[in-house]
Amino acid sequence: MSLDADVRLHIYRRFAEDGRPPTFDQTAVAIGSEPDEVARAYRRLAEGRVIVLEPGTSEIWMANPFSARPTTFRVEAAGKWWWGVCAWDAPGILAMLSVDGIVTTPCPDCGEPLELRVEGGALRPTEAVGHFSVPAARWWEDIGYT
Amino acid sequence: MLLFRSEEHVERWVGAGRGPRGALLTLEQLWGLAAAWHGDRMDRGWRRKAPEEAQALFDSLGLSGEFWRLG
Repeated sequence: MSLDADVRLHIYRRFAEDGRPPTFDQTAVAIGSEPDEVARAYRRLAEGRVIVLEPGTSEIWMANPFSARPTTFRVEAAGKWWWGVCAWDAPGILAMLSVDGIVTTPCPDCGEPLELRVEGGALRPTEAVGHFSVPAARWWEDIGYT
Repeated sequence: MLLFRSEEHVERWVGAGRGPRGALLTLEQLWGLAAAWHGDRMDRGWRRKAPEEAQALFDSLGLSGEFWRLG
């Protein structure tokens, strides 16, 4: 649906530009549709797991790979920075925006900072490994934890 | 997904009861997943991958076995 694509792309572009999502009201104004229609688009996007809303609100918590809430994954590129949802999504921000940049996150064991650098569209080798605790079939049972 | 310094750090973290043991990914696999999953999100025609497409992506990156089965 065209409205859903408009809303989705607006959310991504605001995240990319501002480092945070638009409010629901800002989205409705920017899209130029009735708030009820935009609310239905938000619901469809949430049901399709494209966005995650703050519980009980129409405001955005996540639009993967971006997170509105602070996480332990900081992504920096071209003078801007964002919170990535997880170790999969954080470099995904750089892939999505086609920019080189740096992901920083503390090792959950020792707390020392780890750095992933994307240069020329490729990840530079460094000493680190990814770890999923939750099997794929259960990722969406608690996406905030996964 | 979390990022650790090394497998040894994952083992220590699991051993300290800070989280369950799951599956490890190399950085190549992690970047392959990130780029394939998110690289086309700004396309107007983007749609979420169907489970079979996601499974095929996992397989292509060597992420196979029960842990990576989507259902």
